[in-house]
Amino acid sequence: MGKARILIAEDEQNIVESLSFILNRAGFDVDTATDGTEALDRVRRLPFSALVLDIMLPGMNGFDVLRAIRSDQKLAALPVIVLTAKGQAGDRRMAEAIGASAFITKPFSNAEVVAHVSRLAGGVGGR
Amino acid sequence: MARNLTGLKIRALRRDRKLAQGELARRVGISASYLNLIERDKRAIAGGLVDRIAAELGVERSDLDGVAERRVVASLEEIAADPELASGGGHPGPAEDLVGRNPAWAALVLRLYQAWLDQNQAVLALADRLNRDPFLGDSVHRMLTNVTSIRAAAEILEADDALTPADRRRFRSIVATDAQKLSGTAHALLEFFNSAHMRVRSATPAEHVDAFILATDNYFPELEAVAADFLAADRTPDAAKEKLPDASSRFPPEATVAERFETRRFRLLKQALQPVVAEPIQALVQSHAALVSEESRTLATAALAAYAAAAVLMPYEHFLEAAERWRYDLDALSRLFGVSYEQAAHRLATLHRPGAEGVRFAFMRTDASGYVTKRLPLPRLPLPRYGNACPLWAIHAAFQNPGVSARGFGELPSGEQFLFFARAVEKRPSSAAAPRHLLSVMLACAAEDAGRVVYGDGIDLGKAMAPIGTICRLCPREACGHRQEAPLIT
Repeated sequence: MGKARILIAEDEQNIVESLSFILNRAGFDVDTATDGTEALDRVRRLPFSALVLDIMLPGMNGFDVLRAIRSDQKLAALPVIVLTAKGQAGDRRMAEAIGASAFITKPFSNAEVVAHVSRLAGGVGGR
Repeated sequence: MARNLTGLKIRALRRDRKLAQGELARRVGISASYLNLIERDKRAIAGGLVDRIAAELGVERSDLDGVAERRVVASLEEIAADPELASGGGHPGPAEDLVGRNPAWAALVLRLYQAWLDQNQAVLALADRLNRDPFLGDSVHRMLTNVTSIRAAAEILEADDALTPADRRRFRSIVATDAQKLSGTAHALLEFFNSAHMRVRSATPAEHVDAFILATDNYFPELEAVAADFLAADRTPDAAKEKLPDASSRFPPEATVAERFETRRFRLLKQALQPVVAEPIQALVQSHAALVSEESRTLATAALAAYAAAAVLMPYEHFLEAAERWRYDLDALSRLFGVSYEQAAHRLATLHRPGAEGVRFAFMRTDASGYVTKRLPLPRLPLPRYGNACPLWAIHAAFQNPGVSARGFGELPSGEQFLFFARAVEKRPSSAAAPRHLLSVMLACAAEDAGRVVYGDGIDLGKAMAPIGTICRLCPREACGHRQEAPLIT
C-alpha cells in the first residue's frame, strides 16, 4: 500500500510550499492546485485521501468546489478540510452547511494541519 | 392612561413662587382642600379656573395645560419600554411624577437617551463601514495570508533540525518576503486610518432630520394651516389642477424624462406653494434644536415643502375621514384624491393631529437593493438606516410581485407586534430603453390597530405572527435561517 495522497488547493505559493513540506514530512504524498477549477479537475481524475481547500480561490471559489464535490456521487465521501480566515464565522457556517469535514482557521499551526489530515486521511498509507 | 399634568404643574409653579396652598386657593376663590385635590390630580379642573390660576401664577394658560409635557411623558415611557434598558427591572413608575415635579431632570433624561441612541447609531455606522469597505476587507485578507505564510515557514525553521541547507534558505526567504509584504499592507492601513475621509460623524444630516421628525411627531399644524388657506383661496395652478390625461399622453415616449402624472402634479404644486410656505418652513427649521447643520436644514426644508404639497392634495380632515371610511385602503385613497400610491402612503404617516389622529404608521421606502431612500420611524419600530432591513419584512417580498401588496404580521425580539404591508411601485413609467425603476413602499402599524386596516383582513393573527428582527447585526434570533451576519451583541 502506497502513501495516502493529499491535494492542497491554495493560491498563495508560499503557503503551498510550507503545507507541502510539512505534509511530506508527515508521510503523505502531496499534490497542489492553485485555483478552484484545477482542484476539481484533479480530484475527479485522480484518487486522493483528502483535500485541503482554501475558500478564497481565484475563479471557482472554495464553496463552489466543495458543492461540486458533494454533489458528485463518486467524490461525496472525500474528506475536505477547509481553510477559513479568523473572524469569518459566516464562511465557516456556509462551508459547514455544504459539507466540510473539518476547518482550519488561518493563521494555523503546522501541527494542527498534520493532525486534521492524519485523522481524516486515515494516517500514512491509510488509503 | 396618561394622567393629567396640570395639577403637578400648578403645584410646582406655586412652590416656585413661595405661595401657600391656602393663599392661592383664596385668591382664585376655591377651598384649600379643593386646590389640594387638583394639585394631586384627584380632580379635573374646569377651563375658567385654569385661567384664574394661570393669571395668579403669572403664566399663560398654555403653560398649564401640559401638551408639551405629555409629549415628554410619552418619550419617557418609551425609554421605560426600551428592552435594552429595562432588562427586567420593572416599570420605574409614572413618568408624570418626574415631569411634573422635576421637568429639568426629565429633559436631561431625554437628552441622555437621545445621546445614547446616537452613539449606538455611530457604532453601527462604524461597524458597517469597517465590514463593507473593500479596501479594509482586502487588506485584512492580505495580512492574514502573510501571517499564515510566515507562521508556517517559521514553525518549519524552528522545529526541523534536519532541514537541508536549500530548504532552510527557501523557508527563510519565505519569512523575509512575507514579512516585507506584511509591513507594506500595515503601512497602507495606517495611511487609510489617518486619512481624513475615515472620520465618522456621530450622526448624519439624515439622522438629524429623523430626530426632528420624531420630535415634531411628523405633524406640522403651521403647514396644515397654510395648505388650508391655499385651498380656500383656490390658488392651485391650472397645470396642477389638470385631470388625468388620456392614455396616449400619459406616458410620453422619452424614456429618460418620463414623469408620472401624479409626480408632475406634485412637483408643480410644490413650486406654486413656494411663496406661501417658504417663511413658515424657515421658521420651523431655523428654530429646531435637532437641525444642527446647514445640510440637515436643507433636507428638512425639502421634506416640509413636500409635506405642504401633500396637505393641499390630501386635506387633513377629508383624508382622515376617507382613510377611516375605506379602512386605510391605499388604492381607494389614491383614486379618491388623484395621488400616487406612495403619496397617499406618506400622507397616512402624518395623521397625528392631537384629538383627530389616524392609525399611527411607520413609513419606509427602499430600492430593489434594499437601500433605504425614505423613512419615518415609529417609536417602537426602529427602521434601519445602516445595513438592510430584516429579509422577512414585507418591503422585500413586495419586489417579487410589483403592483401587488405583500403583507404580514411580525413580532420583534422585544415582543412588539406589527402589521407590515408593502408594494413595489414604478418611480417613473418604464420603457424598453430603460430598466424598470421600482421602489418598495412599506407601512407598518401596531398589530392591535390591524383591525382598522384593510391590509390585516383575512390573516389569522394567532397563527401568522412571524418572528422577525430589524437588522441581522442587532437581532438576537441566533437560530434564524435567514441570518447573514453574526449579532453584534450576544
